Amino acid sequence: MPNELQLKIEEFLLKNGKEGKVTDLIPLTGGASAETWRFTFISNKKTEQLILRKGSGKKSPLAVLKSEEAVVQQKVKSSGAPVPEIVAISSDDKDLGDAYLMNLIPGESIARKILRDSKFSEAREKLAFQCGEALAKIHSVNTNDFSQVPKKPIREELERLYLTYKSFNQPLPVFEYAFKWLNNQDFTARKDALVHGDFRLGNLMIDVSGLAAVIDWEMVSIGNPMLDIGWMCINSWRFGQSEKVVGGFGDLEEFLEGYSSISKEQIDTEEIRIWQVLGTLRWGVICLIQVYAHLNGDINSLEKAAIGRRVSETEIDLVDLLFLGGK
Amino acid sequence: MIFDRPTSTELVEVVSEFLEKKIKSNLPDHLAFKTQIAINVLNIVKRELQNEEVLTKESREILLTLFKDSDSDKANIEELAKQIKTGELKLENKELQEALIEITKKKISVDNPKYSTYHKLVE
Repeated sequence: MPNELQLKIEEFLLKNGKEGKVTDLIPLTGGASAETWRFTFISNKKTEQLILRKGSGKKSPLAVLKSEEAVVQQKVKSSGAPVPEIVAISSDDKDLGDAYLMNLIPGESIARKILRDSKFSEAREKLAFQCGEALAKIHSVNTNDFSQVPKKPIREELERLYLTYKSFNQPLPVFEYAFKWLNNQDFTARKDALVHGDFRLGNLMIDVSGLAAVIDWEMVSIGNPMLDIGWMCINSWRFGQSEKVVGGFGDLEEFLEGYSSISKEQIDTEEIRIWQVLGTLRWGVICLIQVYAHLNGDINSLEKAAIGRRVSETEIDLVDLLFLGGK
Repeated sequence: MIFDRPTSTELVEVVSEFLEKKIKSNLPDHLAFKTQIAINVLNIVKRELQNEEVLTKESREILLTLFKDSDSDKANIEELAKQIKTGELKLENKELQEALIEITKKKISVDNPKYSTYHKLVE
C-alpha cells in the first residue's frame, strides 16, 4: 500500500509533467529544520533515484526556506559548481508544502569514512583543489539574482553571535576575548558574495573521483566569502586529522590553488587565520545553542547534552589560533 | 564523608566499563554510536570527580595572580569574562593570554584529553 507521502509526491510530479510511480521511499537522517527522503521514481521512460527535501514546519532562524534553497542550487549549477539538479519546487502553501525534489547524487557524506576508507584515497588527493574551485564558483554567482536569501554582513553576524552567547548566561572568557579581538579586525577587503555557510565534510557528496556535489544549502546567505574559506579550515572539521588543515584531508596551498584557478581574489594566510578564529567561535556558539536546546527542555537529547562539553574544544583551538600561531 | 565504597568515581567507572564491554557490541550501529556517546559522557564525569578539586584550586591561583587583587571573592571565571569585556584586562596583556591558555588546558583535560590541540599544547 502506497502511503500518503508517496501519493502526494506522485501527484506533484504529475503536475510537473512527470507521470510515474514512487517506490522505496526511505527517510534519511536530516537536520533539525528539514526532512530528507530518498525514493525511486519509475516512469515509462526511465527509472530515477530522487531526493525530497521538505521543511519540518518549524521556522529556524538559521535556515532559509526549502524553496529558496532550491532556487539557490539552480543558480549555482549554472556557475559550474557541482550541485544536484533540481527536479521540481513546491511552494509553502500547496502540494508538498515548503519542499523540493532533486536528483540523488551517489556518494559518501560521512566525514570519517571519507577520511579513512581506502576507496577514497584517490579522491582525497584531489579534494582540496576541487573544494577551492567549487567555492570560487559559488562565490562568483551574481548576488542580485536572489530576493529571499538573507544578507548577513559580518559585523551584524558577529553581534548576533555575541548576543546569542550572552543569552545563555554562561561566561566564557576565551569567547569574550575572541569577540573583542574580532571586533578589532578589518573585514572591508572583500565584496559581498553568495556564501554557502556550512561548507565542510558532512555537507559534501564525495565519490571515488572526488567532489560530486555540494549539498545542505540551508545556511546560505549573502555576505563575506571568507566565511566559507575559514570554515573549511578550522580544526573542528578535521575530524582528528588535524595536520591536514583543509577538512582533515588537504593542504591550504592546494585549496587556494583551486580557488585562484577560478577567482582573481588574492587570499593570504594571515587573513585566513582571522576567519579561522571567527569560524571556530561560530561553531562554539552553535554548540551552545544545541546544548541549551537540551538544558532549556526544548529537546531531551544525549547528543545535545554531550556537545556542551565540546565547547572547550573550540576554546583550546581559539587560544591556539590567537596566541600560539595556530594551524 | 559518610558514604561507603564504591566511591562515586568507582561507580561511574564500573557503569562505563559495563556499557563498553557488555552492551555496545550487542547493539545495532546507530545505538552502538549513541552508547559510545554515553560512555564518553561517563568518562568526563569520572575525570571531573578525580581532578575537580585540584584543577579548581590551580585555576583560582592563576586568577588571583592575574587580578593582583587581594579580594579573593573575585577570583572566578565570571569576573575574568567581565574584565575582558570591560577592557580592565587588555587584549595585549601577556599574563591574561597565558591565564586563558592554562585554564582552557585544565578544562579540556577533563572534557576531552584526546583532542588534537590539547596534545599539541601539552607536548
